[in-house]
Amino acid sequence: MAFVQNLPFISIILSLFAGPLSSILSGKKAKWINLAVITIIGCMSAAVLGFVLQSGKPYVYMMGHFPAPWGNEIRVGLLEASMALFFCVVMFLCMLGGSRERSLEVEEPKENLYYVMVNLLLSSLLALIYTNDLFTAYVFVEINTISACGLIMIRQNGRTIEAATRYMIMSLLGSGLFLLGICFLYDVTGHLLMSNIKEQVTLLSESGTYHIPLLVSLGLMSIGLAIKSALYPFHAWLPDAYGYSTLSSAAILSSLVSKGYIFLLVKIFYRVIGFDVVRDSKVINVLFVFGIIGMIIGSIDAIKESNIRRMIAYSSIAQIGYIYMGFGLGTTAGVIASVFHIVSHAATKALLFVAASGLTDASGDSTDFFDLTGAGYRNKLAGVAFTVGSLSMVGFPMFAGFISKLLFAQAGVESSHKMLMTLVALAISTVLNAVYFMKTVIRIYTPEWKAGIEKKNFTKVTAMQQPAKSVALVCFILLNLVLGLGSEPIIRLFENGLKMFA
Amino acid sequence: MSGLMLLPVFLPILAGSGILVSSVTAKQKKAPDLTEEARNKLHLFSAAVLVVSAVLAIVLAWSGDLSLTLFYLMKDIPVFFHIDGIGRVFVTVISVVWTAICIYSFVYMKHEGGECRFFGLYLVVYGVLVALTFSGNLVTMYLFYELMTLTSMPLVLHNGSREAIMAALKYLFYSMCGAYLGLFGIFFLYRYCSSLTFTPGGTLDPVLASGHEGILLIAIFAMLLGFGVKAGMLPLHAWLPTAHPVAPSPASAALSGIIVKCGVLAIIRSVYYIVGPDFIRGTWVQTTWMVLALMTVFLGSMLAFREPVLKKRLAYSTVSQISYILFGLSALSQTAMTGALLHVVFHAFIKSTLFLVAGIVIFQTGRTKVEELRGLGKEMPKTLWCYTFASLALIGIPPASGFVSKWYLAQGALEAEIGIFSWLGPVVLLVSALLTAGYLFPVTMHGFFPGKSGAQNVWKKQEPPYRMLLPVAFLALMAVLLGVFPNPLIQYFGQIAASVL
Amino acid sequence: MNAAIFAVVILLPILAGALIPLLPFRNRTWMMVYTEAVVLLTSGLVFLTLLNRPEEAFVLFRFTGNLSISFRLDGLGTVFAGLVSVLWPLASLYAFEYMKHEGHEKIFFMFYTITYGVTLGIALSEDIVTMYCFYEMLTLVTLPLIMHTLTREAVLASRTYLYYSLGGAAFAFIGMIFILSYGSTSNFVPGGVLSAAVLGDKRSWVPLIFLLCFWGFSVKAALFPFSSWLPQAGVAPTPVTALLHAVAVVKAGAFTTMRITYYSFGTEFLKGTWAQYVLMAVIVFTIVYGCSRALKETHLKRRLAWSTVSNLSYILFGVILMTPLGLVGALSHMIFHAVIKICSFFCAGAVIYKTGRNYVHELNGFGRRMPVVFGIFTISSLALMGVPGLCGFISKWNLVRAAVASENPLAYAGVAALLISALLTAIYMLSISVRAFFPGRNFDMSTIQDVEDPNWMMLLPLVLFVILMFYFGLHSGPVVGALESITAVL
Repeated sequence: MAFVQNLPFISIILSLFAGPLSSILSGKKAKWINLAVITIIGCMSAAVLGFVLQSGKPYVYMMGHFPAPWGNEIRVGLLEASMALFFCVVMFLCMLGGSRERSLEVEEPKENLYYVMVNLLLSSLLALIYTNDLFTAYVFVEINTISACGLIMIRQNGRTIEAATRYMIMSLLGSGLFLLGICFLYDVTGHLLMSNIKEQVTLLSESGTYHIPLLVSLGLMSIGLAIKSALYPFHAWLPDAYGYSTLSSAAILSSLVSKGYIFLLVKIFYRVIGFDVVRDSKVINVLFVFGIIGMIIGSIDAIKESNIRRMIAYSSIAQIGYIYMGFGLGTTAGVIASVFHIVSHAATKALLFVAASGLTDASGDSTDFFDLTGAGYRNKLAGVAFTVGSLSMVGFPMFAGFISKLLFAQAGVESSHKMLMTLVALAISTVLNAVYFMKTVIRIYTPEWKAGIEKKNFTKVTAMQQPAKSVALVCFILLNLVLGLGSEPIIRLFENGLKMFA
Repeated sequence: MSGLMLLPVFLPILAGSGILVSSVTAKQKKAPDLTEEARNKLHLFSAAVLVVSAVLAIVLAWSGDLSLTLFYLMKDIPVFFHIDGIGRVFVTVISVVWTAICIYSFVYMKHEGGECRFFGLYLVVYGVLVALTFSGNLVTMYLFYELMTLTSMPLVLHNGSREAIMAALKYLFYSMCGAYLGLFGIFFLYRYCSSLTFTPGGTLDPVLASGHEGILLIAIFAMLLGFGVKAGMLPLHAWLPTAHPVAPSPASAALSGIIVKCGVLAIIRSVYYIVGPDFIRGTWVQTTWMVLALMTVFLGSMLAFREPVLKKRLAYSTVSQISYILFGLSALSQTAMTGALLHVVFHAFIKSTLFLVAGIVIFQTGRTKVEELRGLGKEMPKTLWCYTFASLALIGIPPASGFVSKWYLAQGALEAEIGIFSWLGPVVLLVSALLTAGYLFPVTMHGFFPGKSGAQNVWKKQEPPYRMLLPVAFLALMAVLLGVFPNPLIQYFGQIAASVL
Repeated sequence: MNAAIFAVVILLPILAGALIPLLPFRNRTWMMVYTEAVVLLTSGLVFLTLLNRPEEAFVLFRFTGNLSISFRLDGLGTVFAGLVSVLWPLASLYAFEYMKHEGHEKIFFMFYTITYGVTLGIALSEDIVTMYCFYEMLTLVTLPLIMHTLTREAVLASRTYLYYSLGGAAFAFIGMIFILSYGSTSNFVPGGVLSAAVLGDKRSWVPLIFLLCFWGFSVKAALFPFSSWLPQAGVAPTPVTALLHAVAVVKAGAFTTMRITYYSFGTEFLKGTWAQYVLMAVIVFTIVYGCSRALKETHLKRRLAWSTVSNLSYILFGVILMTPLGLVGALSHMIFHAVIKICSFFCAGAVIYKTGRNYVHELNGFGRRMPVVFGIFTISSLALMGVPGLCGFISKWNLVRAAVASENPLAYAGVAALLISALLTAIYMLSISVRAFFPGRNFDMSTIQDVEDPNWMMLLPLVLFVILMFYFGLHSGPVVGALESITAVL
């Protein structure tokens, strides 16, 4: 056994312990430690990815070398390793981009607590990605929820507390349903390790026994995770949570936390239930329909919104809808499209949040749509970045969003009775995306002196004034371009990774 | 030899354009109005060009069936000139009348001003008209038909008043509408005819056309309606009474005498030379055409009868009279067609005489209403005599010309197998002739016999200058003489009619 | 000739254009010289490429799997590329003079030059993906040109343009995906790439997908009900309105519809389907609708823009006839309308530039003071109406020939619509000329004492366009013959 194989476990443990450690450090030190941890874990994930690529097959890592069914297992394949790497990259950039806001919005004595939460969040995300045990997954889902709440609440004003409470309630509901689903499964199969459950489920589905409990369990788990990842109609908690929390929280929550749950769902589909069973169930049709409704409703809500942060948040609902629609197609191509969209949306949404904050910086910290008039001239880099993000969202060629749209559509065309609905939903949703994102882009490039808005406390912000944010933005833009132009190897990676799931 | 055909077309067009360009540049230099010397030069130049072209056109026309392919507009469609019987007749009439009117307008246009523009355009239009009559296929004809509309439009708005401009626009848009309706037909004929070259008896390919009769009839009807616009046929006749009166009198004379005939020419060309009369005989197209023509005949006369302004009255009269021709054509019989062609020639002379007389009255006295013409015979007897002769001819009182043509029209209608119309047609023609008498004679009557009411007035002689009177007298004389010696014409037109039917 | 030339002609203006704001020009003249040099060089290269046409394709870049950005030149592309490369240098010449009073020239010429490259990209696309990408890009690079003045009106116009274009692309996307999934190749093949065997039971979907795709692409060609962006975009500086909204952008829309109809979906699957009839009905309606809106419009440039809406539907009408003849008609109108409309827009621009007057009713008597401009304007009006002897007649003739030959009642209605539209065109165009040349007897010429013809930089393109109009009108044989040989492969 190569040493590299230990790294997933080490990375989870590392971030798990970095959390409590941060609580006794000062804010500044905690920040550096956090960045270092993320970097190290990123490097380790890259190493793991390299290893898996080389070996060409997944491996199972037994903690403490206890074999199943007693021990706890970690399972590492291409998809897991690449997701871990990607999550680290995005999280690093989010933390970088939001550092200025944190120092402004988070009270000094609480700053280190923020990093506690971030570290815990990272460890829980990694655990969700790697674990081969359903109950471990549940545990980390809860850790994830709590740390996410902390991230929302850390900027203390009435709005965030309300938002966090809402988030907490909804999330716990989701976790509860998820737990219920696990219970059902455990009851039926007698296992908690994913691979073992799957063996049993395959047998059961072949024999046709316990059909209903299986279906119920699948439904409960799907709905539970859907609530947590804000699938329509369980999205009410989202705009406030993303809209009012501090920048790095919003970026992380939107791009990573919800994606962690979705990734868990993919794992459940493939590793726990088996995709054939999932396909045959009615659950995916429900996901498909709600995914499409989410795509439309989210965008319509976003169009109505005049607060740019909340607008981007609403857009997340639409994008989550895309992902669920991809699942709903019930084909591997659909799932690959969804997985790619997890990545591309994470990259794009974080970019948008950071870019939007760059624009608000130049507009007297107002997030109001009208105050952003001409912001693209005042903060050039943020303007460009926002434009790139918007274009990606609209599915403009060269950017990440185009590829995911392409994959969704190609997956949709293969399906016979869902083809038209998918294609039309994609088209309509693109139009709606164009409406609010391009409206904003045009707004930020309309000079305020022409629009007749009197100068408030508008300031010019150059890239040099906020080096961290600028670096983050540039990296995000590059990431987006990489995903948009060099998608071929990435998609192949996902395909192979999904194959390894089976 | 056939290359010479271009001369009467392009000589006046180029000369006219030259005059126009020089007038525009002169205006840029803010040159004052024409001096007497410049005016004489202009007159001499225009007259020389026109006479040379006219003589050349007539000589060429009567020296055999010439044809000339100029160049290919599209792959299979050349701009093609060809002189045949119909073209010969039209070009002769046009040249004679055009020259006469030109001489008249040398004097007349002095009081209208803008002479450079007028004579420039006048020459250009002449060139276009000659080209129109020389046209050997449908597309060439359409080309010059459009050009005729465009170049004659500024003649209408000559005096630049708001009323004139609106009238010119009305003329333009009606004509365009007509031209496009015609084009609609051309498109379909192009598809279903073996060629668009004018061939007596038509070129419609029965094999191609079989199964598409419905749309073809619609297309042909569109052509009739469209080209009928220029000829003032219902329902698109309204431009005529608006445009003719506001134009300067020589222009109205040219419009009424000549340009409306080009609508007739276009109809003859498309019906008798492309579609072939057999295709529409007995169809709804023929019936509707006859109904429209007869309605126009009657309605035109009625409106003329009620109209107090002389030039407007004459315009309505044109509406009515051109539909005599159209009715003759619609009967699709030899005699009727002969009558129609006769009426083309006669009406050209008659109506230009009448308009020119109206022009003289305006030029000398400024009066426009029929009411005001009381005692005209005392003031300018020669002019009024010209008017009277022309009126007699138009009403159709033997031996003046109108009688001959109407006789043939009526006889043709009776001969043709057109059901109820073979007697209804002549009846309408007769009623209309009565109305014609009713709207034309009062001028003569009150002119020579002003009655007691105006007895106190001392009628002062104000005959126009001879350069004005002579062309009018010439035209009036022609109107009468052609009726007295109609036989060569009847014979020649009979041949033409026989060749196409 | 090496196929890499394709990438050169496309990237040269894009890159060189992007450099314009960065280069330290000593003064305005240098920037003009640079821009014109880039444009001329590109056009020269395009001509060179058209003359020695490389047969093979050039793959610039691969997205995923079979999706690539690749270029190839075929007959249809030749027409569009040739058209664009003739008009662009002339339009730039005009723009140098015109843009003096608009300001922000560097940004303007940057996007102006980039647009050239992107338009060429559409013309040279080998497959539907490349075309789609450049189509989207075209939206983006022309947006700043519409926004140029940055007035409220311009911003609103650009917003509408953006929504419509992106929305259209979203629906065009559907068709692209369908072709990618069910076509034998994503390349453009005369006659289409679909086959009944591969389609199977999906065959019944073809009309619907085609309908959406066609409608999507034709948003740029301002098909009803997505036509209002075009008149609104008239707020842009005139060179933009003239070149982009009469030629490049809108013709790109028409060009893409030709591609998908004849080269991707293939007429075999579409002819006689409800999709053809629905689209034809909409197109016929647009022909009349555009004209009637033009008639109501009193703003000169917007009137011309509405007229463009109608004329673009002429092209689409030719496309939707789905016969080689129809495509000949469509292509000829694409070329001829480009020449005519750019000419009339330039005349309008000259008026705006010299006098700042925008509305038709302000033009009384201008013909006396600007005889050259209004003379040319009148000629272009006549050409637009389809007076024989000018090029508009030829394309109309070709279109109608195809329509009549199709023996389809709806196409007959199209013929009628073309003529109605010609009549309306006569009304809205000639009423301007009449007003300009014959202001009426009582008009006080001293009120327009300041009006005069512009200088040679503006007049030269105009005169050249008039010559072209007459040339094509009187001697259309070679051009139409070439178009017929292009469509012969279908």
